[in-house]
Amino acid sequence: MSTTARNQQVAAVQDRPPSEAKKLTTRSRIGLAVLAIAVIIPPFVTTALELTKLSRLVVLVLAVLGVNLLTGYTGLISLGHGVFVGVGAFAMANLIDQGMSLYLAGILATLFTGAVGLVLGLPALRVRGLYLALVTFGTALAFPPFARRLGTLTGGVNGRTVDNEAFVAPSFLSLDDHVHIWRYGVCLAVVALWFVITRNLINSRMGRALRTVRDNEPAAATFGISVRYAKAGALAISAAMTGTAGVMQAILNPYVSHASFDSFLSLRLYAAAVIGGLGTLAGAIYGVLALILIPTINGAIELLDSDAIVFGAGLIIMTFVAPAGIAGLFEGWGRGKPDPS
Amino acid sequence: MTQPGSDDEIGFGLVRTLGRQFNGALMELFLQRCFDGMFTGAIYASLALAIVMIFRSTGLLNFAQGEMGLMGGFVALTLMSPAGSSGIGIPIAGTALASTWIPFHPWPSWAAILAAVAFGALLGSVVERFIMRPLTGKSTLSQVNVTIGLLILINGIVFQVWGSFSRRVESPFPNGKDDFFGLFGARLRYTTVGVWATLIVVIILLNLLIQKTKTGLAFRAITSNREGAALVGVKVNRTQTIGWAIAAAIGALAASLVGGAITLNPLTMLNMLIYALAAATIGGLDSPKGAIAGGLIIGLTQSLAPPYLGIPTELTLLPPLAAMVLFLIVRPHGLFGTVPVNRV
Repeated sequence: MSTTARNQQVAAVQDRPPSEAKKLTTRSRIGLAVLAIAVIIPPFVTTALELTKLSRLVVLVLAVLGVNLLTGYTGLISLGHGVFVGVGAFAMANLIDQGMSLYLAGILATLFTGAVGLVLGLPALRVRGLYLALVTFGTALAFPPFARRLGTLTGGVNGRTVDNEAFVAPSFLSLDDHVHIWRYGVCLAVVALWFVITRNLINSRMGRALRTVRDNEPAAATFGISVRYAKAGALAISAAMTGTAGVMQAILNPYVSHASFDSFLSLRLYAAAVIGGLGTLAGAIYGVLALILIPTINGAIELLDSDAIVFGAGLIIMTFVAPAGIAGLFEGWGRGKPDPS
Repeated sequence: MTQPGSDDEIGFGLVRTLGRQFNGALMELFLQRCFDGMFTGAIYASLALAIVMIFRSTGLLNFAQGEMGLMGGFVALTLMSPAGSSGIGIPIAGTALASTWIPFHPWPSWAAILAAVAFGALLGSVVERFIMRPLTGKSTLSQVNVTIGLLILINGIVFQVWGSFSRRVESPFPNGKDDFFGLFGARLRYTTVGVWATLIVVIILLNLLIQKTKTGLAFRAITSNREGAALVGVKVNRTQTIGWAIAAAIGALAASLVGGAITLNPLTMLNMLIYALAAATIGGLDSPKGAIAGGLIIGLTQSLAPPYLGIPTELTLLPPLAAMVLFLIVRPHGLFGTVPVNRV
């Protein structure tokens, strides 16, 4: 790279606003208000069964956010995040067996998934670009048969149930007849917590480091960023939040099986992250909206046996029409330029 | 003291098994397992060859390679099956239509497979022309997005049209109970010989095309220097379309030939793909020779590792995967690939 080009790169990195604006813009406020109203409606209009199903999909936003953090903000393509959902879910099931409280088990399972992400990912971080996509995809394919072999830990071929009797509202709320609403609320709170953590992370020194690594690794190294630590950190946090999605799925379901975490889950999460928009927080929400709405609409009009066609076509069309995803379509009003990815 | 069946006992299993190789019956078993591995190895090798063809001409890993082949395999199945019949009683979609509109339907299996290969070539050129070409020069991310999108899309289409049933594709080679060469007591099946003969013919044709024709010259020019080739008048786009067509045709051939041993369902090629990607990586992503060697290595590992190393059959995905990661880290250009030169 010539000196001029590198100077331009450096300038570009420096010119970028230091964060996605520390204060909420008007646009974000409107968006959050719409979102708040949207999440309040379901408990009033759905049955208990539908709400539980919805909760399971809502927690997937964490997995999509995990893909987004790694692929969108750090530039590491991951086609294997379904593995972390699975690890989180299996870890949760086993920690509950040990007699732990749900909160402690959830936190430990999350940390465990983060550690697994680090262990699995360290060799993967040596390869980049296309090859990383290759390795993560291979991991996603190998995970279900591997989980099937783990016997009682994963329930083997049949899967196993999860003891979620403790997952009820505190008695003073007298929500005993509406346990699904409490569970839905907890899911929303956990998702919101991870969103705040992620927002603070990407606005921090580390977040800027990640984006610099994504845009130009040599430049990042020149600035004194440890590329390896930045990538490893992003991977661990991304795996941890994806693990939380698995934790919540395990106690909502309450059943975990290797078959739920096949390679198509990973591909779906990736597709959702891309369709929603990589490199923006809102993108994860739009992505999960797509994950919820596409199967629902498809199921309602009974057009296709499987919604895979819609996801595949959506991924291809979005790459051409809106490379920055649905979030990119909404950019341009209320805020400055979109974050290029 | 070692209890029978304890970990120590299993740990020494390999040594004892190797020691027993001199026992005649076990030698036959070993040879038999090698022959079995050679069949799947040939399938992996052809799919890996398709991946290498595209990587050479575009620097792109086509994750949809397996699914494009899968569609070809189902086209072959539809063309060779009589209307309204199938092994498990559920009619194969499209056979009724095919028997009305396609003369001489059901076709003999070799003709159906040739038609599937032609269909694969058509599919490959359409995908290249309308989806991949507009993305030339775009980021790795968007190219991965599109090939992953194609994987999901084509898999969805196959599932929609042909359903999730496992189907048996008739092998074009004699595949009866007694169709084998007896070799030192082991059975070398005609299908294995046939698949390897087909693969060798494909390689010879490919080699002739690349070394002796003008298209091949253009292909080599693009591989070595894309911009330079375009500057001296090589028709880069057309050559690339041909590359995709050939790759997809080979993929369709591979999927049609698995029928000799493995049933075809919408998930068959997904596992095949990872074996093929591992084979291509081990052999070197830009080396057709490497793809064949890699395919053979993976096929043999898959059939020999479970009995001799005590790896459970379901976990045969792990050794190729580990080998792939190891190669990417230690020797990214594989066994036969070109050592890349990075200009700073």
